[in-house]
Amino acid sequence: MPLYKQILYILWILILFGSCAQKRERPVIGISFETLQTEYWVASVEAVKAECERMGYDFIVAVANGDANRQFEQINNFISLGVSGIVIAPKDSHTVIPIIKAANRAGIPIAVYNRVPAKNTGEYVTVVADNLEISRNTVTYMCELAKASGKKHKALVVLGDLGDINAVNRREGFNQAVKAYPETIEVVAEVPSEWNQEKALSGVTNALQANPDISFIFTSSDFLFPAIVSAMKSADKYYPIGHPKHVVFGGFDGDAMAYRLLKEGYLDADGVQDVFYECEASVQAVIERLAGKSVETTIVDPGFVIHQDNFDEMSSKMWGASF
Amino acid sequence: MVSIKYYLSQNSIVGVCILYYVLMALVVPGFFGANNTWNLVYNFIPLLILAIGQTFVILTAGIDLSITSIVAVASVVGGYLMSADSGLFSSPLITVLVGITGMVLAGAIIGLINGIAVTRLRMPAFMVTLTSLMFFSGLAIWLTQSKSIYNLPTLLVDAPYKTLLGLPYPVYLAGLVYLVSYLILNKTLVGEWIYAVGTNVKTSWLSGVNITSTIVFVYIISGVCASLGAMIYTARLETGSPVMGQNVLLDVIGAVIIGGTSLFGGKGKLQWTAAGALLMTMLDNSLNLLGMSFFLIMIVKGAIILLTALFNQYQPKSLVHA
Amino acid sequence: MLSLDNIRKSFGPVEILKGISFTVRKGQTLGLVGENGAGKSTLMNILGGVYEPNEGQIQFNGNPYRPARVSDSIQQGIAFIHQELNLFPNLTIMENLFLNEFPRKQGLFKYFIDQKKILEQSQMLLKQVGLSVSPFTRVSDLTNGPQQLVEIAKALKGQPRLIIFDEPTTALSQAETDQLLQLIRKLKQRQVSIIFISHNLDEVKAISDTIAVIRDGSLIKVKPAAQYAKSDIIRDMVGRDLEQFFPERNCVIGKLPKLQVNDLNVDGKNQLSFEIKEREVVGVYGLVGAGRSEMARGLFGLSRVYQGSVKWNGVVYDKFKPRQWIKQGVVYLTEDRREEGILSFKSVLENVQLASLHQFVKAGFGWLDHKGILSGVKEKVKATRVKYQTLESQPVSELSGGNQQKVLLSRWLMTNPGLLMLDEPTKGIDIGAREEIYHLINRVVEQDSCVLLISSEIEELLGMCDRILVMNQGRITATFPKTDFNRSEILKYALNATKE
Repeated sequence: MPLYKQILYILWILILFGSCAQKRERPVIGISFETLQTEYWVASVEAVKAECERMGYDFIVAVANGDANRQFEQINNFISLGVSGIVIAPKDSHTVIPIIKAANRAGIPIAVYNRVPAKNTGEYVTVVADNLEISRNTVTYMCELAKASGKKHKALVVLGDLGDINAVNRREGFNQAVKAYPETIEVVAEVPSEWNQEKALSGVTNALQANPDISFIFTSSDFLFPAIVSAMKSADKYYPIGHPKHVVFGGFDGDAMAYRLLKEGYLDADGVQDVFYECEASVQAVIERLAGKSVETTIVDPGFVIHQDNFDEMSSKMWGASF
Repeated sequence: MVSIKYYLSQNSIVGVCILYYVLMALVVPGFFGANNTWNLVYNFIPLLILAIGQTFVILTAGIDLSITSIVAVASVVGGYLMSADSGLFSSPLITVLVGITGMVLAGAIIGLINGIAVTRLRMPAFMVTLTSLMFFSGLAIWLTQSKSIYNLPTLLVDAPYKTLLGLPYPVYLAGLVYLVSYLILNKTLVGEWIYAVGTNVKTSWLSGVNITSTIVFVYIISGVCASLGAMIYTARLETGSPVMGQNVLLDVIGAVIIGGTSLFGGKGKLQWTAAGALLMTMLDNSLNLLGMSFFLIMIVKGAIILLTALFNQYQPKSLVHA
Repeated sequence: MLSLDNIRKSFGPVEILKGISFTVRKGQTLGLVGENGAGKSTLMNILGGVYEPNEGQIQFNGNPYRPARVSDSIQQGIAFIHQELNLFPNLTIMENLFLNEFPRKQGLFKYFIDQKKILEQSQMLLKQVGLSVSPFTRVSDLTNGPQQLVEIAKALKGQPRLIIFDEPTTALSQAETDQLLQLIRKLKQRQVSIIFISHNLDEVKAISDTIAVIRDGSLIKVKPAAQYAKSDIIRDMVGRDLEQFFPERNCVIGKLPKLQVNDLNVDGKNQLSFEIKEREVVGVYGLVGAGRSEMARGLFGLSRVYQGSVKWNGVVYDKFKPRQWIKQGVVYLTEDRREEGILSFKSVLENVQLASLHQFVKAGFGWLDHKGILSGVKEKVKATRVKYQTLESQPVSELSGGNQQKVLLSRWLMTNPGLLMLDEPTKGIDIGAREEIYHLINRVVEQDSCVLLISSEIEELLGMCDRILVMNQGRITATFPKTDFNRSEILKYALNATKE
């Protein structure tokens, strides 16, 4: 058989096969997550999937494992698949911009979950917790506890990756809160964790060694609890509420460990992002855009503070409780 | 006329590619079609460029593990030279030209260092490039204090989407890299030397092959290819990042190996690498479209690399007649 | 013991074996000779269960013998000793001997290896082959000869009744060869049958009871070794008379030296000086380890040169590098064809072109002149009479040793050399190819080149050279011009470095 005929045959078979590829019946929403490495993200992706299911949409999930470039390629795969909408938890606030542009070029609505994109001209909806407000409220509650004890407290704060706007806002919330209690709180240590357990562990250990009288600890994310608790234990500072050696202890996120620590009485307060609300809002935003309705560019999740006094009432809204 | 059967027996990876394409067109909704084909092309190009550079090195029985760090350094250097935040040059054209030159130079210099280390220190390529992988990854992060660089010129950022005669710019870049590499490997002295050195270093030395310059040359090529890949990554993510391309190493070496190029050197073709890179791209794309999780994709890819490596090893040898 | 009846084998249309019949009796040693390509290896592969014959019967020990795989033949009592050794160099002798089956302990510890038993058996086997080293020695620490003996010990473990030796002595020194032949005689006394395949006719004659000659897939003659003259064997192998094995040269040696080596020190102790004139073939004789190869390798830049200089074509050099020498027309054909000669899985074309590529770089962009290369390669492989199937796709490893050697000669001839240093150019090569190589050397010399011929075969040097240098322990102990050639004198100086 001559070459051109063989090629024609192959092309013909290809076209035949291509035309039989089955079509999906329901519209599809593409869900792209930067990572699934912490419970927070796992809970989020499950909530987004549940909401899609509830609204009668199929979904397809891609995880980039911390690689902005892979996320970009995955979104392009979604677009060529012909998804109706996209919900993305981006790697960072800048690399999401070309992704938004790509979605815009294809005319596909996109909701950006949990991180606010840097200033750009694209069209998108961002759903984000009010990190500043939630962390300020949480820390204020902790400060009230500290004040009630009547003693002066030395404070330690674990910071996140300061390239991440969420970490910056959480630090700002912390700072604003403690500034209102100058006579009670003195911040003696700021531990940079860069969202990394090992760094948090060594940082907190060192700080507790340098300042053995620290009695007030706030972490910018709950997923660092294992590191912090371990450092506290070795510094003989890990005691339940009511014990004379108890340290005023607070966190941010509302994950499963926070839930447990609250329940067991080690943690005083935790700022909770309302994951269920945020995920529902993200999917809703996409669906409303599809229906041609206009949606606000930014949807803010006010979140809430959970503490020992409202634990029974609020724990059902805490996403970490379901793990 | 050369029959397709003979061609495929010599280039089995091309057959695998076609088979896979047909299979996925059948099974995966949204795989077959113009949109996704363009998408495949976009994802394929940077991988192809990196894999071509790696092919040169593997042909000499070496390996370049440092390419991801070269991508990172080039991305950071280019980002710094071009970002409006550093504001080094006023004209956008000059900015981009200087940026590209800087990136390519960075790649070439790291390649040169690798090559000299391999030839002069007489250490295994694996050790040398693993060391430089760690060193230059660290350097990129240290230089930027792990912050990304933004505000790149529109000229660069829009380039991946601009077209000439219906084809996007990156296609021309990849085409140029492929063409130049093809000419080097098949039409020049150093090309013949690359194959000879990979086949038998001792024989090559005895036969007057300039081993040092051949090996240094392939590492420079690999470095330059890595920096060109970094250029595409940087442009389309609109970011100069010190962690750019961190996860691409497996895909690159995988593409070369499943293409059929021998890790022991001396055997391999550019078209094999191109087909290997295409297969890797299709794997990623199709498994993605199937909604498979990232971790499962990694497992499948690893399995396929292993299988093809085994397959290549057990291909029937021609009978030796007595 | 073993009898073959009308064995035929074809690969596609090519008939390799055209009906071979012979028998080997118990305790008999059969020498099997023939040129490369005559069908010896195919025949052995059939006995070893690698190939199946298209026709014919084999009887072994009175039973029909049809091995399907290599392990069958071992089980039935046939062992193979190949030129290439099947040992793991990083393991000890003992581990190599028992690798396929370690004796286990009895009873409760049956999953444990019985170290004591292994050690005893190893020592016994090593004693049988006359190797006095510890079984714990690593194989990589042994030289070729002892490795060969380990291989034989491994074969003896299976209590074979027939052992087939395929070119066992190629990689061995003279002393090691003697030891091996001694061992074979001992095996014979123990009523083990032996088939001995070798290119070295002296060895075959010395060891065999009967010699069988195969040519082009047919058995030409089977004759008792004592009555079979070497010249007759050669004639039967190549199919014609070799009146003049070493051809005459039609040229006159030049007056002035072309190469002058002055006080070259390659071993840190001795200084070597000699010269070669235009159109002269200078031979170097010496025992293994006398420093012949080391001299040439040092000169060519492959190993360290402590001091000394070389005057070539009137220019003095004291730094040596292969690349520069090749450009000056000085080349070295290596003794180790497999390790540093051929590019094994590359084509004839790629092998031949390798050393002369730089001559074909075109001006301008620096493209290679592939047309020029191809025609140059074709011309050379025609001149050297390389037999190949395709120039561009057949791996050179599929060619016979003689053809591989001709490929390497073609590689060097393509550089238009003025001096060829040939290190054992006919080692492990069949007689036909050998003769062709001698003709080739003459033709090169007739075209005004000169040759340094290193060889362990004194006949070859006597037949080919204009002058012979004798080396012993790193020094040149004597020089014989053609008029004074004397076999025993040359041997004397090679063995003993007293005079001068």
